[in-house]
Amino acid sequence: MVGMRFPAWLVVLVATLVTCAVIAAQAAAERIGPITSALRAGQFDQALRLLQPELRQDPKNPQLWSFRGIALSGKGNKRDALDAFRQALKNSPDYLPALEGAAQIEYENRGKAADALLQHILRLRPSDPTSHAMLAVLAYGRGDCAAAAPHFEQSGSLVESQPGALQAYGDCLVRLRETEKAILVLSRGLAQSNSDASLRCQLASVQIMAEHSKDAIATLQPLLQESGTDPNVLDLAASAYEADGNTPEAVRLLRQAIVADPHNVNLYVDFSNISLDHQSFLVGVDMINAGLSVEPKAGVLYVARGVLYVQLAQYDKAEADFEKADALDPRQSMGSAAEGLAAAQENDPERALATVQSKLVKRPNDPLLLYLQADILTQRGPDPGSLEFREAMASAKKAVSLRPSFAAGYDVLAKLYLQAGNYPQAVEQCRKALDRNPKDQVALYHLIQALRKSGRRDDIPDLLKRLASLRMAGAKEEAERNRYKLVEEKTLPLEKQLP
Amino acid sequence: MTVDRRDFVRLSLGSAVFAAVPRLLAQGVAAHTVKPMARPAPSGRPFHAHFVDVAATAGLQAPVIYGGVESKKYILEATGCGCAFIDYDNDGWIDIFLLSGTRLDGDPPGATNRLFKNNRDGTFSDVTEKAGLKAVGWASGVCIGDYNNDGFEDIFCTYFGQNRLYRNNGDGTFTDMTRAAGLWNEQPRWGAGCSFLDYNRDGHLDLFVSNYVRFSFEHAPVPGENVNCNWKGVPVECGPRGLPPGRHSLYRNNGDGTFTDVSQQAGIASATECYGMTVVAADLDEDGWTDIFVACDSTPSLLFMNNHDGTFREEGVLRGVALSDDGMEQAGMGVGVGDYDLDGHLDLFKTHFAEDANGLYHNDGKGNFDDMTRSSRVAVDTRYVCWGAGIVDLDNDGYPDLFMSTGNVYPEVERKLPQYANKTPRAVFRNLGNRTFEELGEEAGPGVTDAHCSRGCAFGDYDNDGDIDILIVNLNEPPSLLRNDIKEKQNWIKVKLEGVKSNRSALGARVMARYGDKVQAQTVLSQSSFYSCSDSRLHFGLGGFNTVDLDIYWPNGLHEQLKRIPANQLITLREGSGIVKNKGWGIS
Repeated sequence: MVGMRFPAWLVVLVATLVTCAVIAAQAAAERIGPITSALRAGQFDQALRLLQPELRQDPKNPQLWSFRGIALSGKGNKRDALDAFRQALKNSPDYLPALEGAAQIEYENRGKAADALLQHILRLRPSDPTSHAMLAVLAYGRGDCAAAAPHFEQSGSLVESQPGALQAYGDCLVRLRETEKAILVLSRGLAQSNSDASLRCQLASVQIMAEHSKDAIATLQPLLQESGTDPNVLDLAASAYEADGNTPEAVRLLRQAIVADPHNVNLYVDFSNISLDHQSFLVGVDMINAGLSVEPKAGVLYVARGVLYVQLAQYDKAEADFEKADALDPRQSMGSAAEGLAAAQENDPERALATVQSKLVKRPNDPLLLYLQADILTQRGPDPGSLEFREAMASAKKAVSLRPSFAAGYDVLAKLYLQAGNYPQAVEQCRKALDRNPKDQVALYHLIQALRKSGRRDDIPDLLKRLASLRMAGAKEEAERNRYKLVEEKTLPLEKQLP
Repeated sequence: MTVDRRDFVRLSLGSAVFAAVPRLLAQGVAAHTVKPMARPAPSGRPFHAHFVDVAATAGLQAPVIYGGVESKKYILEATGCGCAFIDYDNDGWIDIFLLSGTRLDGDPPGATNRLFKNNRDGTFSDVTEKAGLKAVGWASGVCIGDYNNDGFEDIFCTYFGQNRLYRNNGDGTFTDMTRAAGLWNEQPRWGAGCSFLDYNRDGHLDLFVSNYVRFSFEHAPVPGENVNCNWKGVPVECGPRGLPPGRHSLYRNNGDGTFTDVSQQAGIASATECYGMTVVAADLDEDGWTDIFVACDSTPSLLFMNNHDGTFREEGVLRGVALSDDGMEQAGMGVGVGDYDLDGHLDLFKTHFAEDANGLYHNDGKGNFDDMTRSSRVAVDTRYVCWGAGIVDLDNDGYPDLFMSTGNVYPEVERKLPQYANKTPRAVFRNLGNRTFEELGEEAGPGVTDAHCSRGCAFGDYDNDGDIDILIVNLNEPPSLLRNDIKEKQNWIKVKLEGVKSNRSALGARVMARYGDKVQAQTVLSQSSFYSCSDSRLHFGLGGFNTVDLDIYWPNGLHEQLKRIPANQLITLREGSGIVKNKGWGIS
């Protein structure tokens, strides 16, 4: 959870209240003065004693109730403090100090009323950065980045002064696919906290995602120049170099990371991904074997090796690995999904479907498996309206409802709608897929076909250009990947280098 | 906050499994793979066509030399060549023209294209030398057409190096007119598919030539050199990916025996990012003007729509015929043209690589296509690399079937991965009459189940017995000549067209045959299948119907109709004159 601190809020609150007191009548000010002095001095019991008679005399005075809330909060009695603030608001719903006090306590407790209180403050004081910051953190905590991002933005320097909040803001922007903005935000943060390695890594990650690999490399340089560099940093840098087309450096860094942290299974998976990209499957298998020698129970390594075996058409070995992955970690569906895919890849669609459906019995709400089922059923070319078609449709719909970020699920749905002649729905699903992945050529192609068939041709010329451009970019990327092939080094095998 | 980079990556890229697992290699060719569909239960219906390979007894014994036998160093050795049925002497009996390649280490004896004259008794005689057609080189495709309208079909062959135009002299000989006709390439190119066509409707046959890759021995990578030179971990010949694509050309016939390159002004030259293979020229949107479809390997196929003004616009992706049904590139090699669902429109059938389904594309009559591969059940088999293709009625039941010739491109893979054999059987899909197909094996005869490393194939009735026979190129083996012996006779009709105002060969003419409640469209083609040319007589199986109505749409716009033509004969139709006497065979 993001830990945002709002220092000395109590002092601020007291100051606000005192300001209000100055405006009040002179007599009232004489009564309040000792109370505020006691509060400022941290003499909360004294303040409470002084407040008692005043409250008896003037039980509807929101200021007095707010003082009481502050005192109780200072003593650590948050529940009674909240009651006091609420009492103030009962009498005077727009009394800002009470709103702020209650909001602070609700925020700290992550109470349900926090949002409403903060929104109330903002209605009275629209540009209050603290309230915006708190609302941002609360929304982020709920996973609602769409709500959090605008509040982060309006928090101004309050968020920028806190690395945790800044990282949350950056994370939100990434989730909202505003990567360029995320880079700006995180860069500002890094400018202020140059030594924050976590922030630096986050920035580099986003730069990689936004295809600014050279920038990512530059961002990571200070960390790479340190001796005993964190293996995760080495891993991240490897991604940046690979994205930049410098596969030799990427491989060197990954190997260094693996030697430094041989029990980090993700490093072996990343190496296998590079091997896959460069069609160097045997090298990838060897590296995974090295990983398994130190982490024999890492299911993800079996999945990774199984994927490589599929590429080598060694389907028996692939299947054995996927089964092993499944046995090691039944909660993960990767092994099952990969097994289903491998069966399909081996030109055995019946077995693929049976495999996936058997896994679905145990995990009926697994979006990956549901998607696979939908895809395999669709590949059978069922007639629209048939039971199989309806099953495919239901499966795909469920997959995307469980995981709305799943572009491939929308691809299958769009295809089914196209086949059923429901072009408006096909268009909608294609657009959803493209929202999640603007480079989705399948969705783009289906969108073109759906628009053509429904006679809506206006957008087609631009879409055709976009598809052609994506194809060319893809071909270029492939050519870049194909510049290098991984070969075995004539040195000690990695597993013999590991401690 | 703890940074999880992988979460970021997954957010934008989706599941790593789905990016990785379907990424099957076939590094040099398109990586699109398709899972085969489950086979439905056999229909149990008898199939009356029966194919037997009679090449040896027919006199077709010389092997078609094409590159290495045990392994191929370059893609040039792998793509192979086509063949043609051509009645070069106008005697009513189709003859055979077989292309050939050579070897890297020199031209072996017997490596030449061959012309075989039909002896009319089931046998053929090699008349290559006499005809002046002896030629050695890396031949690719053949297209046939009477480019000078003198009544004798001419031959155009594409090559790696220099294409050749052979003018039929009408006396059993041919003359190489390449240079004189203005078709000489100043720089060597790799010509692939080709087609004569009259794109501007001036009555003269123009010429379209696709090009595959820009290849040179000096610069070509070798097996294993890069990722485009590996297949399932085995080093193999490289490409086409990674090699620069070729440029396609359109030559306008000047009417005087010469051609002018109009590729630029016609809009053809703008299609640059494709490895062109078989060319089919047909009026696909039925507007009276010939369009051009080019099957492309590992890149989107091209559909050039005729603008009626000497130019074309490329609309393959838009019209749904360039890519798979998921918008992915495929290894498109051969093209069959026919009307599989008997709706009167010309559909397309495109052959692809192993582990991808061949594509059946339904035409709505306006040149828009729907991929019916799965719904038609053609996708039950993805085992083979398929080349030659035909939408042809093999059993004369009135429903066009599908035929493919197959053969691997990587002979060396079989030694490591025996499930990927170099020689594979042919494939027949019989039309069940409900827009679906059923794959047959032994039921179609040993000529279908025999395994060869085949490439182009041509369809025609070489023995004039009223059914479709098949000629197939087999690499480094003699060709196959599959004689069709239909067990239960059904009715048929053959239609031979002669243009008058239209080009003499009537290329581009569309014929609709109506029998009972069925209507079937066919068109006269200069090239189809893989780099090959079939019998120019359009053959319609009629099933049990003994008469047929015909609609003929001539290339220059004339529409003629004939009613109640009796079945089981060849008729020759001359533009504007109706039925005329056949040459050499048939009742008239």
